[in-house]
Amino acid sequence: MTTPPTGFLEESDLHAFVDGILDPDQRRRVEEHLAQNPEDAALVESWRRQNASIRAVYEPILREIPAPSLRSAAAQVSAPSGAIESGATHWGRPGVLPRVRRREDILAQQRRQAIFASVLAVLAVAAVAALATFIFAGRSEHRSMTATSAPQGYVARAGLTYATYVSDQHPVEIDASRLEELSTWLKARVGFYKVPDLSQQGMRLIGGRVAPGVAAPAGFLIYERADGGRIGLYFERSVATITQQASKSGSGVTAIEWRTADFAFVLIGPLSLDLMQLAAEKAAAQIIGASKPQ
Amino acid sequence: MTNEAAFAGRLMSNYEDILSELSEATPFFRRYARALGAGVGLVVADGLVHSALQGLGARLRAREVTPSDREMARIEAYKAITSLAAHKYQVASAPGPRHPPIVHGLAALDFTDRAVLLLVSLEGFGYAAAADIAGISRETLFLRLQRARAALENWSANSSGVVQVGAARSSAHLRVIK
Repeated sequence: MTTPPTGFLEESDLHAFVDGILDPDQRRRVEEHLAQNPEDAALVESWRRQNASIRAVYEPILREIPAPSLRSAAAQVSAPSGAIESGATHWGRPGVLPRVRRREDILAQQRRQAIFASVLAVLAVAAVAALATFIFAGRSEHRSMTATSAPQGYVARAGLTYATYVSDQHPVEIDASRLEELSTWLKARVGFYKVPDLSQQGMRLIGGRVAPGVAAPAGFLIYERADGGRIGLYFERSVATITQQASKSGSGVTAIEWRTADFAFVLIGPLSLDLMQLAAEKAAAQIIGASKPQ
Repeated sequence: MTNEAAFAGRLMSNYEDILSELSEATPFFRRYARALGAGVGLVVADGLVHSALQGLGARLRAREVTPSDREMARIEAYKAITSLAAHKYQVASAPGPRHPPIVHGLAALDFTDRAVLLLVSLEGFGYAAAADIAGISRETLFLRLQRARAALENWSANSSGVVQVGAARSSAHLRVIK
């Protein structure tokens, strides 16, 4: 296409005229052109009608009052516990800027974590023993499968999965060196295959496994930190009737739950709430970025 | 106050300013999400905005995006909404009989063509900002805008049985008219 001589108009000038982004001189030139060219004037008029029709339909939305939670979706700085709100479309935590903490606080928290980790280990052993007793003692003979898998939240299920597998010498079924195979397998069994990379948070992927979920097979990825601490990412196709839970800290572990349209995710591990939230946000951002209709 | 503390203070001030802008602009984000969905329901559109803003908030806190002012923050929010809608609205329901004809016309457009048209016509962005939000060049933006308007015109003509003026000019090219 050759460049038109100065003073000529292009169709782009007509669009710019309709969109109101011409300077006064250009505007006057277009107006003179339209006065002498009824066909182009009609064309411009039809575009204006389109704009007016679109605005007429959607302008009233501006007068609606958005929900407060929507207005503060990007902020929610008043949530010191970092609790995740309930709701199917919420995927991240209401965030706060990482707070500067004193060294004493950090050391105290580490001591608490060590104590909680010990308690958790005892409780985990007790839970597994109780479950085994329950199953092998035949008490389930008169109960249906539904009864033995009584409804529970994803956080509770993730906690049980974490306690069951995380301390094993070989906690995963497919290790990270076979990442492609792991993704394919998880996609086939669980329906979700994105394996978030949390290396920037100092969490190296060990691998993953399939575990019993609340209502369907669940995926469980295990990451390991340089200090040996292990973090699990539990995910399962979500069921609307199971209520989303706020993040929990206790027994030396922190669990953060979030959801996408189809899946519930729980990140669980022996780290502080801040570190876990940061890692959860990283994971959620990667998952959201990669999510496409299956 | 040390330079580091002053810098942190400026960052925090800027961050709060940006959050304030995002909060104030929420009605516009809702409008854009509804229009971009061309027939999607209120809950779906608001859910999309919520997810997009939460994602943006997380990226702001992680300093993955650092908008320099309120306008840039607003553009980042529109980018987040557009990007998320490109995935989420692929399976969105078509408009029903209760929707005005223009909504059906918008629904018939290619997603990016629709986004470009709405950013310019409804949200009032200039071509450079709209191209930035849609993730395309300014030249491509103009071609898509031209195509969207022509397609909408053709759709209107076909649905009403009336031949609209300029309906034949659907080819996406720059035309010297004088």
